[in-house]
Amino acid sequence: MLDTMSHTQFNNRLLNPFGRFEWAMVSVSIILTLFGLILIYSATTSLAASEKNFVIKQFTWMCLSLVMLIALTLVDYKLFEKYAFWVYFALILALVVVWAIGRVTAGSRRWIDLGLMRFQPSEFAKLAVVLALSRCLSEKFGAGGLQILDLVKPAIIIAVPALLVLVQPDLGTAVVTILIGASLVLFAGPPRRVLAWMAAGLLSLIVFLYFFGGRFLLDYQKRRIATFLNPEYDPLGSGYHILQSQIAIGSGGLTGQGFMQGAQNQLMFLPVKHTDFIFTILAEEFGFIGCLVVLVLFATYLFRGLSIAQKARDSFGALVTFGCISIIFWHVTINVGMVMGLLPVVGVPLNFVSYGGSSLLSSFIITGLVANVSARRFSYLE
Amino acid sequence: MTEYIKPFASMKDFRLQVLIASIVILVSFGILLARLWKLQLIESDYFSEMSYGNRTRLMRLPPSRGAITDCNGTILAQNQPNFSLSIMPGELQEPEKVIDSGSSILGITPEKMRLLLLNAANSPKYRNFQIKKNLTVEEISLLKSRLGNVRGVVIETRPLREYPFGESLCHVLGTMGEISAEELVRSERFVYRAGDLVGKTGIEKEYESYLKGEEGWNQIEIDAKGRQLGSTNRIPPQRGADISLTIDISLQKFVEEVFIERAGSVVALDPDTGRVLALVSKPGFDLNLFSPSISERNWKSLNSDPLHPLENRSIRGLYAPGSTFKIVTAMAGLSEGVVKPETTFECSGELEVSSQIYRCWKTKGHGKVSMHRAMVESCDVYFYELGLRLGADRIAKYSSLFGFGAATGIELSNELPGLVPNSLWKQRNYGVPIKDGDSVTISIGQGYLLATPIQMANMAAAVANNGKVMKPYLVEKIKSSDGQLLFENQPVQKWNASFNSGYLELIQRALKDVVEDRSGTGRKSFIPGLKVYAKTGTSQVIREKDRGTEQEQVPYHERTHAMFVAYVNDRPRKIALAVVVEHGGGGGAVAAPIAKKILCKYYGIPDSPR
Repeated sequence: MLDTMSHTQFNNRLLNPFGRFEWAMVSVSIILTLFGLILIYSATTSLAASEKNFVIKQFTWMCLSLVMLIALTLVDYKLFEKYAFWVYFALILALVVVWAIGRVTAGSRRWIDLGLMRFQPSEFAKLAVVLALSRCLSEKFGAGGLQILDLVKPAIIIAVPALLVLVQPDLGTAVVTILIGASLVLFAGPPRRVLAWMAAGLLSLIVFLYFFGGRFLLDYQKRRIATFLNPEYDPLGSGYHILQSQIAIGSGGLTGQGFMQGAQNQLMFLPVKHTDFIFTILAEEFGFIGCLVVLVLFATYLFRGLSIAQKARDSFGALVTFGCISIIFWHVTINVGMVMGLLPVVGVPLNFVSYGGSSLLSSFIITGLVANVSARRFSYLE
Repeated sequence: MTEYIKPFASMKDFRLQVLIASIVILVSFGILLARLWKLQLIESDYFSEMSYGNRTRLMRLPPSRGAITDCNGTILAQNQPNFSLSIMPGELQEPEKVIDSGSSILGITPEKMRLLLLNAANSPKYRNFQIKKNLTVEEISLLKSRLGNVRGVVIETRPLREYPFGESLCHVLGTMGEISAEELVRSERFVYRAGDLVGKTGIEKEYESYLKGEEGWNQIEIDAKGRQLGSTNRIPPQRGADISLTIDISLQKFVEEVFIERAGSVVALDPDTGRVLALVSKPGFDLNLFSPSISERNWKSLNSDPLHPLENRSIRGLYAPGSTFKIVTAMAGLSEGVVKPETTFECSGELEVSSQIYRCWKTKGHGKVSMHRAMVESCDVYFYELGLRLGADRIAKYSSLFGFGAATGIELSNELPGLVPNSLWKQRNYGVPIKDGDSVTISIGQGYLLATPIQMANMAAAVANNGKVMKPYLVEKIKSSDGQLLFENQPVQKWNASFNSGYLELIQRALKDVVEDRSGTGRKSFIPGLKVYAKTGTSQVIREKDRGTEQEQVPYHERTHAMFVAYVNDRPRKIALAVVVEHGGGGGAVAAPIAKKILCKYYGIPDSPR
């Protein structure tokens, strides 16, 4: 592949980071965000006075995120490798701050109020875990593969933020953080023996929870805890929300009821429909075809990312790219699965599409990191 | 030629992992699409039917707002249910029937009704479109019997804020209005929706979180005709807390009635505690105009009124306190040792300072005046001399001790601090040092000096209190709907100025003689059998060009403000008050009689005709 490229051409591309700019993923990111803006407008229009505010706020965040994306592309990702642990510790500190002084939102603390905006560190904590884990795992490759003891450090890297998120309490984000971390460890490719140990550990945990987890709690207690963890989704604790969401999706049919015409959207009370339940609006107003388009866009994004991970110039680049991709993958799968009633309701946004500054910014940071790895795919012998 | 190879020999090959990941992605997305296919294509009809037909709805039950009462429990603001007829255009099935019955019941012509429905059809499909509000009980029962079964016709209940006393205490109680987008975004913690009514000014705003209450929920099932089948789950709303004020509405109303002048303010405080007894700002407005929302026309007329009825003058009106400020200058002069109690100055009717003539209100002059006489007869020249010797900074120090230049801290958040000029302020704002002429005008409460009526009342209270400055307060206590006491206000002493008691006594004696002495300027507030301490003030609005002009010939906006501060502290119920009549003329002539009426009412003394 390289042989076909002349020397100067290649040099130019190296000097100019936009020479290998990841147009495909950036375009998909922007298209999804714009689609999200339309849905947010529709979702918030029943909140008469504030409709413009939500859309304008999200648009402002998009512009800010694009600036962030460009900035991220300009520096070499070596820098992120260098400062990975610093970023990680900063986010851990932010999570502690949220836990300590953060504002109570619907019974749980997830925000740091910065006056103009609310900063949700758990969104960025997932990214920090990916950076720290990639740095940690890539160091092992030189020393002859992952051994069982090499997994202690990664386990701690994943566990600390997961626990801090869990006490917020935000069970969903904690689980997603663990899933992302686990995906990345598996991607690093531990030898079979280690894999077997991991599988055995996981299996025994599941068996333990299955047989004994239920013993600790009575049925109504479990329900109460579930409602406690997600009060905004289920104010009456009776599955109302998921039913309404499924009715909305089902009534969308093949082509949807049309923009701003969804009866469930316009009529029903869905408190988080512009954030975590935005896919419901998409399904109701744009139907199966609309959903298909969005899922294909996400699939394009994910496969593109995988191919970049495969072609990255070093292990760190490959691991960061794969970690970023796995964030998007788990978010999309869990979010869409949850609104359709396949998975339990947890607070996971649909990247790019859901309303929310922290979520949008972190999504574009992901695109920026992957684009960075892609742009520096080739390098001189050092 | 440089060689290009992958730089790390130890670079792992991730091909297998990428392959597995690709399969995982494909399978997951496949499952999602299959589920979508099932929901949207196979079961679509079923869900569409559910969406349109039988369905459950989560209804929000808005809480009832708490009441505001006076100190005796008289209701000043409360919620009343208000019914309105609305149409949900997306569900309306028999428009002809609605036009027929609706127009005959509501007394609207069928043409107008048709037009209203047409407008409704063009508005968002699933939002209630209001046809008529303030339905009477007969209208409701007729509508229910004839249109009760028609889908899309809704009789909405909305709580309406009612103010039984209308204009009385309007600035303190404050108005309600629809929540703004900004407030909505800011208040994510409280569950507000667009269209909710929130307090916009006054107590309604400051105590919004107490008054609001907590919303409830009702999950109901609705059949294909939109009829409610039953409630499956219900969490009742919680009524907001009730707030009782320190104000006695009968005194407040009385003060409002005796204040017949166009504009001004009266503030009455309990000097010992800082309880506000009456807080009047004129002109006012009828609070009921704002409930549930003020009409465009009324809003325009209130907003463009040159007398600014929406402004609460008692805490936001800035006036030169005029001669009432001589209390401060006198205390400064005595405490700083500039004059002794027996020191006299010669008043010839004017004083020349830096080649500028400053006149006394009495053109002929007072002759030789002591501190006592200067206070009683309000001699300006005496205080010019005092001001000249004190300088602006020392006057400013004592002004602050009496509470001028800073908000008193009453619960209403938009209170203005007023202005006490000193040399630093003058240098900063005008770039020149403060002059003797400034000190001279400040000494009689003119010039740059600005104070609010509540500050003037608090100054009178401080004198009555021997130097203790209290924080005025309006809210006595807050009780939750189940009778639990949530908050009870305690008097707060802001500071004790610790004035020399001999000087205080001297000033207090002078203030008594302002009313009781035959030559006192506050004669018109004399009440037999009641020891009233007072000081009059007449503050100029523009520089006086022509002394000789009678007040009646001066245009309204150039007339002087009439000021009067007074207190009574030898009775079990004490009172300190400030009366400000904008462009009223002389303080002794116009403001003093108002104060007299208020004091007579407060102490139950029959108001003797002059």
